[in-house]
Amino acid sequence: MSRLDKKSPSLCTDRPLDNTDISNKLNLLRQLLKSCFGPTARLKQVHNNIGGHVVTTSSSSVLLPVISSSQPFINLIKASILNHVSRFSDCGLFAAIFCLALIEQAKRSGLRGNVSIRVNKHLLALCSGYLQGEDCGCKVKLDFCSSHNLITLARSIVSSKPACVLTEQETLHISKLAVQAFLLTVPCSSPGTVSLGKIVTVPVEGYSVLTSVVFPGLLVDMPDGLCLTKFDYLSNPIRMVLFSTSLAGDLSDLGDGMIEVHAGVDTESQILDQLLELGKQVVDDEVKLFVCQKVVHPVLQQYLRSHGIIVVERVGITIMEPLTQLTDAQPVATLHTKIPSKAYGKVRELSMKQFGSKTMLHLQPLGESVICTLLLCHRNETMLSELKVVCQKTEHVLRLTLREPSALLGGGCTETHLAAYVRHKSKNEAPEAASVLGCSQTEYLLGVEVFCRSLEFVAKALQHDGGNSLIDLTHAHHWTLPADVLEEHMEDSLGFCGCGLVESSPSRKWTFLDTKYTEFLPLALVGDSRVQPRVLDSFTAKLSALQVATETANLALDVRYIIQDVN
Amino acid sequence: MCSFFCPFMSHGSVVGVLEAVILRSFGPEGGQVLFTRDTGQAMLSRSGTHILRALHLEHPLARMVVECVWKHSTVTGDGSKTFILLLASLLRKIHTTASREPHVSHSYNSLEAAEAATARHLADKLLAFALKELDDLIAMEVAPHGRCVSWEDFTAEMHSPANHYVQKLLASFFHMRLGYVHCAFISELTCELLNHWKCIDNLPYFALQFLKDNFPAIHTPVSGFPITSSRLIEGQVIHRDFATPYPQTDHQPIKAVVFTGYLQPRLLNTGDVLEVGCGGTEERSIVDFSAWTERSLQCLIANLQSLGVSVLLSVVKQSAAVLALATQAEMCFVDCVSEDELSLFAQLSGATPISDCWRIEPEHIAELTFCRPILLGPHRYENMPFFSLTCKATHLHAKNYLGTIHTSHLQTLVADVFIIRVKVKPYSLIICGSGEGQTDQYACAFQDAIRMLFTTWEPIPATGTTAAKRTVQSDKRTSSYTHVLTDSSTCTSSNLNPLHKCVLQPGCIMPAGGTFEFLLHHALLKLSHSCSASNDTNIGVPVSRLLASALLSVPKQIYSHSPGQFLQTRTRHNAIFTQDMGLESVSCKYELLLAVLQCVTSLLRVDTILRTHTALHTQSLADTSWESTEDEAEN
Repeated sequence: MSRLDKKSPSLCTDRPLDNTDISNKLNLLRQLLKSCFGPTARLKQVHNNIGGHVVTTSSSSVLLPVISSSQPFINLIKASILNHVSRFSDCGLFAAIFCLALIEQAKRSGLRGNVSIRVNKHLLALCSGYLQGEDCGCKVKLDFCSSHNLITLARSIVSSKPACVLTEQETLHISKLAVQAFLLTVPCSSPGTVSLGKIVTVPVEGYSVLTSVVFPGLLVDMPDGLCLTKFDYLSNPIRMVLFSTSLAGDLSDLGDGMIEVHAGVDTESQILDQLLELGKQVVDDEVKLFVCQKVVHPVLQQYLRSHGIIVVERVGITIMEPLTQLTDAQPVATLHTKIPSKAYGKVRELSMKQFGSKTMLHLQPLGESVICTLLLCHRNETMLSELKVVCQKTEHVLRLTLREPSALLGGGCTETHLAAYVRHKSKNEAPEAASVLGCSQTEYLLGVEVFCRSLEFVAKALQHDGGNSLIDLTHAHHWTLPADVLEEHMEDSLGFCGCGLVESSPSRKWTFLDTKYTEFLPLALVGDSRVQPRVLDSFTAKLSALQVATETANLALDVRYIIQDVN
Repeated sequence: MCSFFCPFMSHGSVVGVLEAVILRSFGPEGGQVLFTRDTGQAMLSRSGTHILRALHLEHPLARMVVECVWKHSTVTGDGSKTFILLLASLLRKIHTTASREPHVSHSYNSLEAAEAATARHLADKLLAFALKELDDLIAMEVAPHGRCVSWEDFTAEMHSPANHYVQKLLASFFHMRLGYVHCAFISELTCELLNHWKCIDNLPYFALQFLKDNFPAIHTPVSGFPITSSRLIEGQVIHRDFATPYPQTDHQPIKAVVFTGYLQPRLLNTGDVLEVGCGGTEERSIVDFSAWTERSLQCLIANLQSLGVSVLLSVVKQSAAVLALATQAEMCFVDCVSEDELSLFAQLSGATPISDCWRIEPEHIAELTFCRPILLGPHRYENMPFFSLTCKATHLHAKNYLGTIHTSHLQTLVADVFIIRVKVKPYSLIICGSGEGQTDQYACAFQDAIRMLFTTWEPIPATGTTAAKRTVQSDKRTSSYTHVLTDSSTCTSSNLNPLHKCVLQPGCIMPAGGTFEFLLHHALLKLSHSCSASNDTNIGVPVSRLLASALLSVPKQIYSHSPGQFLQTRTRHNAIFTQDMGLESVSCKYELLLAVLQCVTSLLRVDTILRTHTALHTQSLADTSWESTEDEAEN
């Protein structure tokens, strides 16, 4: 009772964007996230005040949840970005940096809040229309006949996470594995609605990354090692049974009442007899593999093993679904009724796999199956956990390509290209657009500048070593000039653009990204299929990130008042 | 141990503070307010009610005002910000009038007390005037400048002019509630939703009422997507994943049943005692009991299988044995479904939930056209999985259905049976937003929009007396209200007047942007002129002028950024029907005016506030002590 306190009135902040405390915090967040962006990002170590795990990361999905702020304004932006990441797995940092840049630039431009919001919305529609259109100059069609572009896409994601600490060769190996595992989950021949399979990831610590491997089928933990030779006599296919209830001799589901046991009645042995009865049926039905989600009574285990049955217990709920898919077994949860024969599943082959301290049972499917296991190895735990996150993200991004088989040019080229396109387009239609949006032409053009600067800011954020960012004046791709190169030797040291599609040549013209350039229509690269892009970004994720970032920035610009409940 | 003070002078300042907060999000140039709950959850809103309630005010008068606003907006769904503006402006006008001519007929101790008495008197007269004259005045002078859109017109065609008006009306509403950027998109979506749920040859009342009541089960918030991904999908969405693997069957139609209890018999309820091995003639072990429950479960599943049922829905979580047996029988099971969703399901399908597993009758079985899992957001494991159902509502079990409903639910009963009879094709609304705060905000706005439409098309009662009753419904402060009725002699005549017909048609809409306020302002001034010209000492004369000037504060705020436009609109007041500024509902405005006047009256009736000092034990205790003070002061 004494803990009950009077509710205190809420804390109010008027016009939060003009508040210095909030501006400082926004600035700090932008600097922090900017330094995590791209393959040369600076890593962040996260550790809590009670001596927990130290996490080394540069990935937004790990970093953002641990940044906690007392300021709801910051949390609003954070929550939006995290929601995007949870849906699309990629482009979280892009969305965050773009959103924060938009807020900052809009505030600095001095535009009325409502005007910037309307202009942003208009330009967002312009951008997404262009990106989705046929003649988009920064989009690449993905061809599923060759795995080349898929591997490039996977590699862009893996290499953008430097906390995995991978060499060039290791990056390529992991990217290939990711694509291979992804392709295994796509069913080859099923008409109608396609249901994708599942990749089960098994992390193993202490081995070189290059020993990572993909297995079709499923690997299940075997706590006590079994002799390998035992499997030789097994006939093909192997019959198996799957239990989803506990076989430890407890009776659940009886209700909440009390049970009174009179002296001389041995309930336990009665239940055990029942379990052994079940075991007898399994033996009679020539089952060779006995899998249970929960615990199996040791006496039953012993009985089954003595009849040459392999017993796997405590597989856990996560493995249950892939197991049923792989073996076609129906989980059994009744103890007193005969197991129907259609509940049994089948496995083609069983073998043991040994990885360090782990002994695993490899189940191979009878026919084609969409379940595979990705065994990931790395030298230590921190890097391994980051690698696991990266592989899951890659899998997700690859899945997104099934719905929309396109990718966007990476390395900042999409951003600069888009900025150039928006500048050109909006210059031409300024009078009409301004009247539709209900603002003056100057206001409109100022809003366009805000939007384009913010896009270019994201491209520049890829650079962490003091280099300069440039844009070429034909295709509007993004180029990086190392810090120690003089401007006269620019052509020789530029090499390729960010995505690797355009090569430097004496006829090309560049300008620095900060400088004003006369607007032009950026040209798409035509023809030349010999040159393949080296960096690709997910189309679906980036498009959604662009939308979420603009919407969040608009929301933030629209907030006029903050009421904080401090109870 | 109590202090007391006279609240008369503090009305203005209290409401002024609320006004200052509200103005940030008022009108076309207003913005959002971000607020955090005590749980730390961030919310965004432009809804006046949400903002005011988030303030956690301590001042008793302010809390009273917030309460009034809340009650008003739960009924009409609209006008909470205008409420505060009008209230503040009315209080200011009453104060200036009262200080100019303090009540002379009585003797008071101080000037302040005299002013307070005059103010109170003025407020009473205002309310009496509004109850008697306002609806007629609006129907005669204001409504002819608007348009009446009948529901039949609206539901006739997707692109008919009437539909266009409704969309415009919704667009203005969403502009004020969510901001300019998405108002067109969302109003279009709402229109589409209404069109799908509309029912042939009937009153709008029922369809809107149905949507209003079942909105929680009809919509699905999905965060992490841009708002433009919001859409309608066919069928009803149940917000739970399948507990058993979903078998892909092409059987048509799919038969489904709903269970309210456990399928596996629960042997022992709390408090029961099972004696095992009590030495009887029969040796009964615990294993026999559990074998018995399993056997009975098998019989039940076999029975369902023979009936051709393939989808099972349940309120409670079922045991592993149930799920395993259902899987083996190729049925799919969804457990832990919320009551709201099951009640909507029952209404749409016409099937009754099964409470006794041993008696499954044909009326328990619903027929569905499809049943499939849908993925909203790519992670199925993220407790956001759904599957959707569409019912073929062709089977009429209305007779059985009627029997199960109690008379107290008469209104919903009518709506339900009605929905079943017209074979409505259900559609669910998927609301996307970048965060949970946004989807909540959109969902609230949708719900309030439906409320607003409901108020607009609420059928007009046949006699004048029921018009008064309607206002009683809209504000639950009946005590103060009836008090006014008996107090002012004029009101009784209005109630008994048989010629008094409410001519305000349902579905009347007006151009937004202060048109209603300007027109009513002129009408009120005209009335006061004609009254003074005929030298009638009607009490309505000064108060109508007072109300007229208070009304102008709303358009003044709307055009606060451009005073020129204010004058322009003011002069243009009785020009042709224009939609440039959007549209608004006349009946919502009327309800709002009455609610504000009632709030003013009850505010000014408070004579003294007693601050009692109780040792703060519980929150509820503190609340009751506060309310009793208020009640005393009011009576």
